[in-house]
Amino acid sequence: MEEKTTPTRYRLHLMVCAGTACVSNRSFEIKEALEKELKKQGLENEVLVVTTGCNGFCERGPLLVVQPGNIFYQQLTVKDIPYLVEEHFLKGRPVQKLMYTPPEEKKPIPVLNDIDFFKKQVLIALRNRGLIDPEKIEDYIARDGYRALVKALTQMTPEEIIEEIKKSGLRGRGGAGFPTGLKWEFVRLASPANGGLKYLVCNGDEGDPGAFMDRSILEADPHSVIEGMVIGAKAIGAQQGYVYIRNEYPLALKRLTLALEQAREYGLLGKDILGTGFDFDIKVARGAGAFVCGEETALLASIEGRLGEPRPRPPYPAQRGLYGQPTCINNVETWANVPVIINRGAEWFSKIGTKTSKGTKVFSLVGKINNTGLVEVPMGITLREIIFEIGGGIPGGKEFKAVQTGGPSGGCIPKEKLDLPIDYESLTEAGSMMGSGGMVVMDEDTCMVDVAKYFLSFTQDESCGKCTPCREGTKAMLDILERITKGEGTEEDLQLLEDLAVSIKETALCGLGKTAPNPVLTTLRYFRDEYLTHIRDKKCPAHVCRDLNVYTIDEKICLEVGHGCDVCRRNCASEAIIGEKNQPHRIIQEKCIKCGVCYDVCKFGAVKVD
Amino acid sequence: MPKLTIEELEKLRERAKKATFLRETTDYRAKITVHMGTCGIAAGAREIMNAFLQELQARDITDVLLTNSGCAGLCSREPMATIEIKGQAPVKYVDLTPEKVKQIFEKHVLGGEIVQDYALGIGSEKTDY
Amino acid sequence: MIHLTIDGKKLEVEEGTTILQAAEKADIHIPTLCFHPLLEPYASCRVCIVEVEHQGKKELLTSCNTLVREGMVVETASERVLRARKLNVEMLLARAPAAEPVKKIAQELGIEKPRFEIKDPQEKCILCGLCVRACEEVVGANAISFINRGQEREVAPPFGEPSEACIGCTACAFFCPTGAITYEDLYGRQVIHEELNLGPATAIRVPIRQAVPMVPFIDEDACIHFKTGNCQLCVKVCEKEAINHDMKEEEIEIEVGSIILASGFKPFDARRIPAYGYGRFPNVITALEFERLVNASGPTGGKILLANGQEPKAVGIIHCVGSRDENYNEYCSRVCCMYSLKFAHLIREKTEADIYDFYIDMRCFGKGYEEFYHRLLHEGTKFIRGRVSEITDIPLTPEEEGKLIIRVEDTLVGTVRRIPVDMVILATGLEPSLDHNEIAHIFNISCSQDTFFLERHPKLAPVSTFSDGIFLAGTCQSPKDIPDTVAQAGAAASEALALADKGTFELEPITAEIDEKLCAGCQICVSLCPFNAITYNKEKHISEVNDALCKGCGTCVSACPSGAAQQKHFRDLQIMAEIEGLFID
Repeated sequence: MEEKTTPTRYRLHLMVCAGTACVSNRSFEIKEALEKELKKQGLENEVLVVTTGCNGFCERGPLLVVQPGNIFYQQLTVKDIPYLVEEHFLKGRPVQKLMYTPPEEKKPIPVLNDIDFFKKQVLIALRNRGLIDPEKIEDYIARDGYRALVKALTQMTPEEIIEEIKKSGLRGRGGAGFPTGLKWEFVRLASPANGGLKYLVCNGDEGDPGAFMDRSILEADPHSVIEGMVIGAKAIGAQQGYVYIRNEYPLALKRLTLALEQAREYGLLGKDILGTGFDFDIKVARGAGAFVCGEETALLASIEGRLGEPRPRPPYPAQRGLYGQPTCINNVETWANVPVIINRGAEWFSKIGTKTSKGTKVFSLVGKINNTGLVEVPMGITLREIIFEIGGGIPGGKEFKAVQTGGPSGGCIPKEKLDLPIDYESLTEAGSMMGSGGMVVMDEDTCMVDVAKYFLSFTQDESCGKCTPCREGTKAMLDILERITKGEGTEEDLQLLEDLAVSIKETALCGLGKTAPNPVLTTLRYFRDEYLTHIRDKKCPAHVCRDLNVYTIDEKICLEVGHGCDVCRRNCASEAIIGEKNQPHRIIQEKCIKCGVCYDVCKFGAVKVD
Repeated sequence: MPKLTIEELEKLRERAKKATFLRETTDYRAKITVHMGTCGIAAGAREIMNAFLQELQARDITDVLLTNSGCAGLCSREPMATIEIKGQAPVKYVDLTPEKVKQIFEKHVLGGEIVQDYALGIGSEKTDY
Repeated sequence: MIHLTIDGKKLEVEEGTTILQAAEKADIHIPTLCFHPLLEPYASCRVCIVEVEHQGKKELLTSCNTLVREGMVVETASERVLRARKLNVEMLLARAPAAEPVKKIAQELGIEKPRFEIKDPQEKCILCGLCVRACEEVVGANAISFINRGQEREVAPPFGEPSEACIGCTACAFFCPTGAITYEDLYGRQVIHEELNLGPATAIRVPIRQAVPMVPFIDEDACIHFKTGNCQLCVKVCEKEAINHDMKEEEIEIEVGSIILASGFKPFDARRIPAYGYGRFPNVITALEFERLVNASGPTGGKILLANGQEPKAVGIIHCVGSRDENYNEYCSRVCCMYSLKFAHLIREKTEADIYDFYIDMRCFGKGYEEFYHRLLHEGTKFIRGRVSEITDIPLTPEEEGKLIIRVEDTLVGTVRRIPVDMVILATGLEPSLDHNEIAHIFNISCSQDTFFLERHPKLAPVSTFSDGIFLAGTCQSPKDIPDTVAQAGAAASEALALADKGTFELEPITAEIDEKLCAGCQICVSLCPFNAITYNKEKHISEVNDALCKGCGTCVSACPSGAAQQKHFRDLQIMAEIEGLFID
């Protein structure tokens, strides 16, 4: 940590995105190339290269933002760097071809804040996005870091801190949306057993497939979580905290561990924080590949070294949690919000969002969408705005079909509800839920039965197996869905599917089981006709369920346009196509294994699928 | 690194802010553009850039934006720099040397007074920043 | 006190009661699978769900772990509950079709065949976790746990290897509701007669049915508490709080004047005759086992059944097992012929089986015994005179398939016969009890050649021993049946009483005496005295003769190195004088 904090003669800071996505896309190589090139041009004392956490616009990585000026470069390769360095950094001529040009447009948009993807976002949890090096605590401190900690430890009583959080309306960002201030109050009022300690836990297990909000926060701004936890510890009276990170996040683990060390060295964590007499320290606990350990009681069991399975509640962790003591568990994003609320006040925070859902939410926008990435938007924004303005709409000009929110616990929301304002209640009413923030966009080429099957097979695989309805019921539901996608489903199956879903929802022991039927229930609610088509007509309208596809060759096209080119027959692995060159080809249905290769290789569109 | 007291934390904050101020969007009081096209560099624009940087560092100034741009057009009078005080018309300076930079900086950037001898003209293309 | 309503009944229960407990108090039955009153509720089977309405919310909750709250309205069998319960039980039935408790509840709910895939029709484990929780909470050994996730979940020790933490207490099998966990002894022998719980007894038990006082004792070697510090379930359930694990054994010293030894016998161990297959064939049993089988309070309620629960069609009773045998005990055990006849009579009464009695001689010596034997002859029992050589299950003909074949020399007919039967009863003889030698050593009692205690005189003093004041009664002296035992016991008691009652005691005058001044305390005489008549006085450092016990044999006198021990009226000088007198002439 030898970096000088005195002013340097740098005139440019190059913020290179080093979130996991861009890193796997070689952003560290970009960084090295930049440094090499800058040295070559003699600019190494004028231009500083900084690695930051996830920038958000993951679709377009590797990314670089030039400060001052917020000039946004995307899809960089190592080959681009020498030209970029010479043209922009040396000669002052920003390079247009490396900037972002929206699809269907000609002119690039140089400044980040002018780009649709970024324009409508409001950054609170991600307030330091792209502006700090997560491995340098000084960067965090420069941007008002640990100022809230000082305020909370020296100017506020625990009751006042809790009151502020309550007033702000902050609700748990892990998915359930329980009022955070209220939870803190419960833990504050609970007494530990046998003179033990109270605990604070940060849930970083983030198991939803496709969700990476918490990962990005931990990789990009670990101190925001640490600071939030110290403030929370003061509020509830805890002296020991844990951050539980899933083991599949090595970069997040590395950056958080480093951040904890740096904080401890500066006396911002540990005994007698900043000389205030308050003790609090944080340990890191790692997950081991179980989605169910994102459930709070299973998570606590995992930290204790016991079998990672949930237990019935009550008692809630606030009364009896880790090691039987009162424990406050909150999600990563919730903790990241806390310092801002203390700094800027509950009133400011509560002005953002809707009546019942205050503040912002981070979503991972993925699927059939042009601008895949991480976005933070105020509650109350509509789905349409997120998908079509920020997200840039559906690629390939395809039709929007549905958006899945809340991961495997959530549900699909159809076209008719696109103007739904995002908040906890409205999403639940629509049959889905906010969840941790995963948002998967689907288009006309998505089969909703297949989507339900995909999510259910995930929850079924991750079920801990303790309670009967989840362990046996999800398997039974999955078997039915498999049959339906193979064309073997009946209408009794559909009835049984619904009965099972209701029963599992009502009697499962924990949230995983209780919400596992949701994807099935919402797709049945909004896309029942697709199920019926699979059952009655034995067809998949989106052609996703392979077993239901029937491939045929339009002989006219094959002969007149394709001239019997024979490519399909040569590629058919099961020798199901007969025909000779310059003759129309035909598919023998009994032999066809429905792999779809012929459909893919035919350049003339002679192969039809139904 | 020793553990901090609250006062030391604030001091650290100030120092850190100074190291990263470039990343914040602030209202700049003035903007200095050093023209660094190929011609400019050949004529020694880099030393001019360095000179401005040194001035900024020595005086610990963070509300003046220093940037570069491509060739201004008048290649024969390189190195050139444009000084634009907010709310005023930009002024182009030509035939610069590090010594002239010192004077221009003191008189114009800090003092608000145009150094007529080194200026080419007033009110050329406006920048928008 | 909390007031709530269950199925329309208004109840008042204490705070801290679960809905299940409250329902039990009101005689309302809620089915459960993973619940056990002695373990913490686990709430995993979801069969005990009930519909609870409270503070405006109506939801399905598990009754085994949900505490009652003021004003709750509970329905244990509403439509919503039954729908969900039926589905859960149906799924469990598909998982474990052979689990009896699940089958029972399924039947009550009207479920016939599950609509779900059955992977293993023999599966019994319903993943209720009772075994794991018992091993953790009660025993504290933590030798087994759940492994794997979801459909692959199962109970296993760490890494699937036999766990070192397992103390072999079989608590897991005890708590298992479906019999999915079984145990077998170290030699791999199955527990004979599965319905008979002839396996390890519980650590806290009444020793025998005739115990006086009729109270349980704790076997420290089997008790889990003494191994792990946990359990103590017995303490939890004892209402009178009569159990105290910290009680220590006490040794009590009582001074008595006479002792009656009645240490009994042990049955001959039939395993010592491998040819008879005891321990190999489940249907070869000993006489004592048959007694238990046929007892009305026994495991089959008195029915005579084979190991597979069926009635035998043919039974063989083999006399003289371990008795009248050069290889084992040469003596006759006296009681076996009569009890074998009794068995034959009982079998005739209770079953239709053919009965074969294999004897050498029929010893029916007592009152009414011969008459009983005649009765049996008329009942159709087949008596075959001959020693059984072996019992085998290897058939030579189709009729012998699945039977136990008794190979015997029928001496009256003069051929070797193979007799197929279903059950064989071994009339095991009597031997001295296990601690016989220890007792003999403590009381300095001799044993006769047949290893039973030696009486003073076989005809004239059958209840006395060579030590005055120690008497014998019962089978420790020789095999005998109940009438004879009772008679002997009465005799021993009266002799002992007579001794105590006498007040005065006539002694033989020719007892030994030890001169205090000469005795050095070497104690050679103490160990030599066959009558235990000499004791060592620690304070005086000398040996002393008990006149009442001394028989005047003179052994101590001849052994004493210092000449301190002398026999009255037989002193050296006196003997010398007598010899001298012989020579005077």
